[in-house]
Amino acid sequence: MGLFKSVNQLGAWGHFKILGPIIIYASVLSVFPLGSSLWFLDGERFTSGPLTGGGVMASHTFLSLLLFYLYSFHLLRPIYCSFGSNGFETTSVPKEEEFSEELLLKPLPDYKVLAHFHFTSISPPSSSNGKHHHLFPKSIAQLVKKYKIRELELSFTQGRWNYDRWGASDPLSTANGKPPGVELWALFDIPTKEEIDATWRNLTHSLSGLFCASINFLESSTSYSAPLWGFLPNNGDLRYGALPREAVCTENLTPWLKLLPCRDKAGIASLLDRPSIYRGHYHSQRLKLRSDGLNGIVIEQTLSVVLQPIDRTSWSMHQLFKKSLTGKCALAKSSKVFLEIERSLVSQNENILELVGEADMVTNDQRDHSTIYQYNVERYSEHEALDIRVNWKKLLQVSFLQAPLHASRFLMGSGNERGSIAISLQSARNSTKGLYDNSKNCFTRVVILQVVPWYVKVYYHTLRIYVDGAIRDAKDVVEKINVTPSEDKVSPGTLEMMLQFPCGMMSAALILDFDKGFLHIDEYPPDANQGFDIPSALVSFPDFISRRIYPDSISSPLLQSYKGRNIVKSYTEVLLVPLTTPDFSMPYNVITFTCTVLALYFGSMVNVLRRRVSEEERLAKSKDKRKPGLIPLLISKISNKVRGIKEDSANQSQSSEPILGPKVVFKVVLIALIAVLGHYFFNSS
Amino acid sequence: MADETSAAAGTSTETGAGTESNLRTTKPGTKRLFLTVSVLISFLVGAPFLLKSTEIHRSPLPSAAISSLSDHLHSNPPSFPCHFQAIFLSPFKPSDSSLSLSVAERIRAQLSAQSCGNCNFTVSVTVDSGSSCRHEGDAASAACLWECGGGGLVDAIEGRDDQGIDELLLSAVNERTGGCAGRVYSVFVMEGRDERVVIGKHRHAWMVLKDLDDSTSVGSMIGTVFGDYFMRGGVEKGEYIPVGSDGNVVLSFSLLNSNPSDWIYDWDFQRTGEVLLAPVLEALAPVANITMESQVLYHAPKSSISYWDEKLEAYVVNTRDLPFFVNSNEWHLDTSLSASGRSKVLQFVVYVPSASECPLYIRTPEGEISKTNAFISPMWGGVAIWNPHGCSMQSQGIHLVRDVLPPQELEKIIEIFIGQLRILFGLNSNYVEPSPTFKFLASEKGFTNWELDLLYRQHTCFNLLSSLSTLQSLSTLVESLPRMIVMDEIGKQVELSLEAANLAERNISLGINNASALSSIRARALAEDAFFHPSIMSISYSSMEHYFAIYMPFFAPVSLHVLLAAVKEVKRYFAERSKYLAFRASKLKSS
Repeated sequence: MGLFKSVNQLGAWGHFKILGPIIIYASVLSVFPLGSSLWFLDGERFTSGPLTGGGVMASHTFLSLLLFYLYSFHLLRPIYCSFGSNGFETTSVPKEEEFSEELLLKPLPDYKVLAHFHFTSISPPSSSNGKHHHLFPKSIAQLVKKYKIRELELSFTQGRWNYDRWGASDPLSTANGKPPGVELWALFDIPTKEEIDATWRNLTHSLSGLFCASINFLESSTSYSAPLWGFLPNNGDLRYGALPREAVCTENLTPWLKLLPCRDKAGIASLLDRPSIYRGHYHSQRLKLRSDGLNGIVIEQTLSVVLQPIDRTSWSMHQLFKKSLTGKCALAKSSKVFLEIERSLVSQNENILELVGEADMVTNDQRDHSTIYQYNVERYSEHEALDIRVNWKKLLQVSFLQAPLHASRFLMGSGNERGSIAISLQSARNSTKGLYDNSKNCFTRVVILQVVPWYVKVYYHTLRIYVDGAIRDAKDVVEKINVTPSEDKVSPGTLEMMLQFPCGMMSAALILDFDKGFLHIDEYPPDANQGFDIPSALVSFPDFISRRIYPDSISSPLLQSYKGRNIVKSYTEVLLVPLTTPDFSMPYNVITFTCTVLALYFGSMVNVLRRRVSEEERLAKSKDKRKPGLIPLLISKISNKVRGIKEDSANQSQSSEPILGPKVVFKVVLIALIAVLGHYFFNSS
Repeated sequence: MADETSAAAGTSTETGAGTESNLRTTKPGTKRLFLTVSVLISFLVGAPFLLKSTEIHRSPLPSAAISSLSDHLHSNPPSFPCHFQAIFLSPFKPSDSSLSLSVAERIRAQLSAQSCGNCNFTVSVTVDSGSSCRHEGDAASAACLWECGGGGLVDAIEGRDDQGIDELLLSAVNERTGGCAGRVYSVFVMEGRDERVVIGKHRHAWMVLKDLDDSTSVGSMIGTVFGDYFMRGGVEKGEYIPVGSDGNVVLSFSLLNSNPSDWIYDWDFQRTGEVLLAPVLEALAPVANITMESQVLYHAPKSSISYWDEKLEAYVVNTRDLPFFVNSNEWHLDTSLSASGRSKVLQFVVYVPSASECPLYIRTPEGEISKTNAFISPMWGGVAIWNPHGCSMQSQGIHLVRDVLPPQELEKIIEIFIGQLRILFGLNSNYVEPSPTFKFLASEKGFTNWELDLLYRQHTCFNLLSSLSTLQSLSTLVESLPRMIVMDEIGKQVELSLEAANLAERNISLGINNASALSSIRARALAEDAFFHPSIMSISYSSMEHYFAIYMPFFAPVSLHVLLAAVKEVKRYFAERSKYLAFRASKLKSS
């Protein structure tokens, strides 16, 4: 390992292009000793499969290892599949285009309120997809048709989901906790890699036009990656990109609302009062679509906002949104408002919370994690607006269901040369054993997806894993790893890692060293000194499924999506890496300095060449005889003045020339002429 | 060399002794003069190299060729060769050429009125009645002449309706004009009791006249048919044709429900609309590649104000308010994503008013209600208002109506849209007969063959002119900004576009219609590609100020030194030489 580190330090970073794969190859070799690991190297991407059977000799058991490797993949398959189809569990295919609107309100333990708007549009499969539409947005159907999209998710987020307090393992937070800025991923129905890349580029441009955002920055190959299993298991047809710094505001919301048949003119969306919803602590606007031949196109548009009521102990819908819900959107098939109360909020004291307003239906989910109060918007009108009011009788501190490990990420090191990225995983304090799918094998599996821009040059071989403070050999912990090293100005580095931690572990940390690269002067953004953002890493727990099953009597696409096998996952913080920024006026400074030096040199050389030393000396001598030099004259004058001796006026008048002599006039005219000519020349050119 | 200069310096200092006495005994040395002047000269010689090396890359644009072609086209608009033939199926006495002359004169009168899509026409007159067969005038080629023997047509026409006659004459034309059948416009003239002029769906018309003796009036009548209709389509001025530069048009049909809480209307556009519009799209295929799509939008009120009219018992919108009818804030009609590249999107909107403004009508300036209740906006599309039946009686907001636009109503609306499409393409929606004897046969395809010819001609001509105007503005732009980078790609596109334009112009005069249309489309597309090339944006990075900021710090001080040294040396040389000359003169005098 030390050897390869020294290789890195010796070689300039430009060599990493060549050395990179070798280094990683070698470094992972050192991580997994030859005897117990197996290699598949295709291009720059490699996959390694760990083997649990220790003591197997390397060379002569290659074939059996290969078989085992493949078999291990086969074993893992069912779990992979469970990654996929999260959310969409619609079984019956409607014949006509459908639209439904829902709002879910959920009091959070820190007296904030989560408002989750959920709009679903369904377009059945038909030959005229993208041509004739009644409810379904034409632009989306055309997008799907043109770019052959199977699945797509676009999210605009401001703020960060507080996994500690607002919950991390319930379906709502799993599906709606999104990294700050813009995140876009898409699965394409296109065979070749080149075509997918080209389609992705076109798609980013179309979306950036549709949503009035700079999604087109995801066009360049340095900004998106193609994770194979870290995000969603796929066959290389997934593209993932994130823009952590994109600001989200009404100009993104308006085009998003345009996709709804009623926009914000009627129905639940009419609650979206811009000042109220942008005042929130967290704001995430999502568009998720899935298209296939069987179900047609399904779009889920969700907007989650976490609002702080003015009065902590009592709030109502009208207070939160400054608007009242007077009726449903006339086009909606169903229009419902839900209030979800987590069991942990009420379990300690039944009377902690008081609801004002009569619900149409009250149900608990199968495992009794929460209670849902359902309100049908149809029942309400302008005379009687729907206004749910919640009163807290007692203040208390609880927290919602946590993920098994709390993930956070930070930077280490100082200076502009190198640093380290650390991902820290802290075991959640309250036990989450109830979430275990199989409790027999007590290992917690964690999948980490980390995409790093190329100018943060991560040395993947420096990966160090600490479990409970003690360094652990990577082969004991890493179950599967896939590294795509970054290529300067071509592609970002992607790290996909499946780790296996013992259940009793309290904390773990992963540390990766990196060097900071240099960008070309044109590549710096206007605010280069602010630093560069590294997109959030995604930490998911494939063994933990967040699902809530409600009785079938509630027909709601939102609660339906709760039934899906959503894997518990959380996004880490965005990192801000300060890079060395050049002085952007430097080129001009260099030019002017060198030019001045050169000009001085040149001028003095010319003067030296044409100088006549003896003649000048003679002239100087003869001048000395006639009258004193300028400086002695000045000195004598000043000294005279200091002494207070006045020179005689006759002498003064003789020495001073008339101010407006013909020479002066001529000079002024000459300068004016030059100025006029110069002005004319520049203007005419 | 070093020795020599030092020696020279030595001599000059020695000779310099003469300065005191305004006389010098030796010739002044030229070494320093030579040195300083050669430095100056080398700078001057180097200047062009510097300028050349710091030159901005500008691909040369053939601006002279562009302006000459555009001048040529403006002074002499492209005219397409057409052949008009008049066929007399009844005996026609006057044998002199006065008839064809008066026909030609009538057509020529129309030529000046229009600039684009004109005909470079030839007229021939054939008398084909029974035994006599006479040709007169100039035909494009012998093959295009009407082959005599159509005498039986007069009898065959008897008793048929107009549609039948049209078909009969079509087959006769196809049979008897041989290879020119698709390119010849014919008028059949016959004698009869009730006078009438019928213009058919294809490329022919027929007229029944009482009196064939007056050749001037007959000629002017034939000339009207040829000039006003076959050549010009009865349009005053050729409008721009709304076709994208890549030849694509997207027709986007939208049904707008003003207020869905009153009533919601849906339509079955896919079934009704596509069937009705398919033949129109097929007919327009040579001019443009048309696709269509439809959507239904809700909560889309109009933005102009309507008034309650007591007399009409309806809400009315005045024509002067129509420019504000289209509500771009609320009507999210969307440019189509499927419209690739630079295709044109034409919006056709059916507006269903809300209960508070129903029924809604458009009032013409004369105070009448518009018959179609629709209007167009050139190059944008058309709007038709459709009032739900009995909407005025409907009590408001009690129950929600979800209904489908009746198919027969949709058919009517689509007929209006076809008319609007005709206007948008620069034709009349329907012809106003100049006299009761005139009649036009309407094609079920929406466009008759001769109208399509006209569109084809206009489209080619328009493409050609617009490509040249684009090229010309590009070359003006490039000339006005001397520090603008012009990529080779742009230069190449401009050249290719100009080439295509030249080719189109040549093909037009030769009468090769397909090739001319293709190359004119190509010329326009290339010209626009060049004009909208992204590299044109890079202009701001190589301004004149930038150039000076880089080179001034070196050249300003250096040139000061070099110039001053040269000036001083030259001055000194002449001063010293005059002293030497004075010395020589005094020496001569003294000797």
